[in-house]
Amino acid sequence: MSQRLTTSPFLHNNSSVQKLMLQIQLAALPALLTHIYFFGLGITIQWTLAVLTLLVVETTMLKLRNRPVMPYLSDLSGLITVTGIVFCIPPESPWWLVVSAVTFALIFGKHLYGGLGYNPFNPAMLGYAFVLISFPAEISHWTLPSTLSGHTLSFIDSFHLIFYGHIPSLSLDQITGATPLDAIKTGLTMGKSVTDSLQSHLFYLDALPYGWTELNIAFLVGGLYLLSRNYIRWQYPVGFLLALGGMSAIFHAIDPNTYASASVNLFSGGVMLAAFFIITDPVTSSTTPKGRFIFAFGIGVLVFIIRNWGAFPDGIAFAILLMNLCVPLIDQYTKPRVMGYK
Amino acid sequence: MKTQLIKWLTKIYPIAKRALKKFHGGVFPSYYKELSSRHTTLQTSLPKELILPLNQHIGAEDLPLVAMGDKVKKYQLIAAADLKNLHAPIHAPASGTITAIEYRQLPHTSGLTGLCIVITTDEQQVEQTNPLNFPAKKGDACQPNTPQALKDIVYQAGIVGMGGAGFPTFAKIPNVKGKIQTLIINGAECEPFITCDDVLMQQHASEVLSGAQIIAKALACPSIIAGIEDNKPLAIKAMKQAAHKFENIQIQPLLTIYPMGGEKQLIKELLNTEIPAGTHAIDSGILMMNVSTLRAIHQAINLGRPLISRLITVSGLGLDKPFNSEVLLGTPFEQLVEQAQPKSALNYPLIQGGPMMGFEVPNNQVPVIKTTNCILANPPQTTETTMPCIRCGECMDACPINLLPQQLYWYSRSHEFEKVEKLNLFDCIECGCCSFVCPSHIPLVQYYRFAKSEIKTAKIEQQKANLAQKRHENKLAREARLKAEKDARIKAKKEAIKQKALLKAANTDEDASAPTKIKKSPAVAAAEKAAAMRKKKLTQTSQYPIDTQTQTQTEEMSKKPALSAREKAIAAAKKRSTQTKSNVENSAEKRKRKAQTASNSPSVIETAEQKAIRRAAELAKNMKKKALAEKNRVEKQTNNAPEDHQLTTSQNTGTGTQDKSVIEKPIANKRAVAMQAAKERAAAMKAKKLAEALQTKNEKIE
Ligand code: SF4
Ligand code: SF4
Repeated sequence: MSQRLTTSPFLHNNSSVQKLMLQIQLAALPALLTHIYFFGLGITIQWTLAVLTLLVVETTMLKLRNRPVMPYLSDLSGLITVTGIVFCIPPESPWWLVVSAVTFALIFGKHLYGGLGYNPFNPAMLGYAFVLISFPAEISHWTLPSTLSGHTLSFIDSFHLIFYGHIPSLSLDQITGATPLDAIKTGLTMGKSVTDSLQSHLFYLDALPYGWTELNIAFLVGGLYLLSRNYIRWQYPVGFLLALGGMSAIFHAIDPNTYASASVNLFSGGVMLAAFFIITDPVTSSTTPKGRFIFAFGIGVLVFIIRNWGAFPDGIAFAILLMNLCVPLIDQYTKPRVMGYK
Repeated sequence: MKTQLIKWLTKIYPIAKRALKKFHGGVFPSYYKELSSRHTTLQTSLPKELILPLNQHIGAEDLPLVAMGDKVKKYQLIAAADLKNLHAPIHAPASGTITAIEYRQLPHTSGLTGLCIVITTDEQQVEQTNPLNFPAKKGDACQPNTPQALKDIVYQAGIVGMGGAGFPTFAKIPNVKGKIQTLIINGAECEPFITCDDVLMQQHASEVLSGAQIIAKALACPSIIAGIEDNKPLAIKAMKQAAHKFENIQIQPLLTIYPMGGEKQLIKELLNTEIPAGTHAIDSGILMMNVSTLRAIHQAINLGRPLISRLITVSGLGLDKPFNSEVLLGTPFEQLVEQAQPKSALNYPLIQGGPMMGFEVPNNQVPVIKTTNCILANPPQTTETTMPCIRCGECMDACPINLLPQQLYWYSRSHEFEKVEKLNLFDCIECGCCSFVCPSHIPLVQYYRFAKSEIKTAKIEQQKANLAQKRHENKLAREARLKAEKDARIKAKKEAIKQKALLKAANTDEDASAPTKIKKSPAVAAAEKAAAMRKKKLTQTSQYPIDTQTQTQTEEMSKKPALSAREKAIAAAKKRSTQTKSNVENSAEKRKRKAQTASNSPSVIETAEQKAIRRAAELAKNMKKKALAEKNRVEKQTNNAPEDHQLTTSQNTGTGTQDKSVIEKPIANKRAVAMQAAKERAAAMKAKKLAEALQTKNEKIE
């Protein structure tokens, strides 16, 4: 399908969607390694499963829609979606969880809207939200960091868990448990103050969630790389983190027993993943500079609201989907001033 | 301090470099300037044949002043046009014989052919003495002291904007002294590959500055600033040295970024002023000239030489020995490129201009014209597949006008042209930055050109349809009135009351802006059908929208910004009927009285109305002719038009006392006319803006 350029400009800076997506994928590598270090090799199995599902679903959908398969498959945008999902679901969750999440994300989040560039909702978050609502039990069993559970899961163990749901030698409760955010939430419903919850073995002494902090820092590192190379725009992480951090700081100052501090909020759950890898998806976010900031800020506020007053321990997926809805409106009112117009 | 900070930031965040200048966006392409600047300027041999298109500028085509077989001398005037039209005369670049005056391919985006004078050069090279008719006494006598004197010489020398725009320079110079506060010398040369301005400044800095001095003196302009991108250190040095002699000249090195040389961008950078949309730099007291243009002015005034040659760059990745050279206008591209030793056979189209804004020439025999600054021989490269827009915003960050290219693209693609216009499509300078950075490899600029031409065509077609409809309505109204007046004599008294009620109803209807149900005349229907057909056709071919046909239309239209004047005239005529209409509504009493007089002399009324239409038509025709040269005057005329007609037309409204059944038709028609008129005024306003946008575009990259 290549053709010769016949009108100006005859030059191009050699960027491409593929390169862009590849860079984003590479930037997630530190986080992947950290994840493996703390939670075992389960994620690699999940990731392989997800990629296989991706290949099957994308090919089928492109064929059904009469589109050329290769150019659209090789743009690697699907890979980013898959990676987003894989980091969100528990590493030892049953195999069909990731398969259904990816399938749902690609079919309902992408292809039914016309493919890449036309989808209003972030596909990864749509897929994740789907399994979050449909299979809440499976989603909440997160593998404990090996140092906490005292068990290091081997690759075979993870394989067993994912495909058979158990490993012969261990009971599930020993190796999985609530995530730090879950723990805080459950603690609150049982009348335990946040400060008490933070004393649990899930947290370091200075109250940062064990394992999750490192994971978030790894995402932060990758994200800063993307930022410096201009693959993502600063408005997203700055707006998002500012809103979430700011709100937690304010409420923590008012009532430290009900609201966790800003650092706990920023370094738990998928915050940095969202800040640098998920909400930065340009297709489903606002496209103007001001709009991007508002979009990201809105997500930050919503995440705080859902975490503290909503039914789910981590509301990132819903916050993103909600803000996706507002994008046309934001775009409409944040048009930049064109040169020559006052 | 701020610059230091940004410079430090660029180390970890390279794109922050964009913040080092004052306008938005911009890109950093690979420049390849060393290709052509490495080699010294080359002497090119005298071509056997010179091809001189009669239209090398924006405006009307010149008429040949020579005939087949004539002998011409070097510098001899060979083509000019009526002074009423915007144009620039053309001189013979070499002596020889006129061997043809025929249509040849032009170096133009459209691929159009145009009338060209072909000179077969001879050995003797006899020169015309004093080609610009200077008075016998040389020296100061020729130094223009008034804007008019300057304009005269610049006109006679046939000088146009040589940076690529081709707008006749004399028309750009204001008529009065003191209007220009700053003269900007554009030495930015931001396009990759091109180095001719660089070389020019290195070798002829004093000539450039002398040209600038002449203008500054004639216009009483206090300050001169030369902007040069900092990737031309030698040129900056040479210009600074030459500027020592003058106090009022300032040489300003600029950040190397594309499109620094754009008119609006350079003004913003040097003076931190934004030219308000829809106005020209002149209106803000700024005159910008390209270095080549200034040198041409120097040559005209100090040497008495018309514009017959120019410095151009012959470069490209397909050439072994790219070079810069002073070449005669009319030299075929191929001859020059052959001299640069192509690496492989020239079986691909050459590009005129730079790679960002240039265009492929239809064949390699086209000649160098006044606006040719570069001939580029880049072997064709295959591009990557176009992917869907991912809204990444790269294009938006690169746009020097701060538009939203991704949204423009989105709506252009879906043919929602109203939205595209709202997003200020017509401020787009087609610089190509957006396409340059798009990771999806979307030919964005192509879409914008397409949308622009579509909008213009649609407007013209709508105007035509409206005009036809208006004529038809007038006819119907007239017929109905005559009949009504006949009946009116019988039923005058009885119907007076009924009619009042009717008018009220008509009034409310109009307020609600109910859709009009007018029977369309066959002419209107046909015109609209044609428009619909075209649209349909275009939708089918929307993936790659620019076919030659639409491009041709763009070209045609860019030659005729005068159309807007015609539209204005039409709008004026419509306005007249609106006013008439309001008369009807506001003073029913008066109308009754008038009706009596009117019914007495129907024939007079008819002629009056016909006269009005004819006058409007004449006015339109007139203005179409004059608009380009004397836009201001035309505008004044148009503004006067409604008043002129008011007297005559107020009598036409004498549709006073009539039978109800008969009067319904004219009223419905009148209502329709009034509504149309309102629509059309809006359209005319837009059209005017459009014409201005066009002109701005033409002036853009000097
Ligand atoms: S650069 Fe291309 S892909 Fe990105 S927003 Fe602009 S048009 Fe879309
Ligand atoms: S071509 Fe038009 S839209 Fe694209 S960057 Fe240039 S001015 Fe902006």
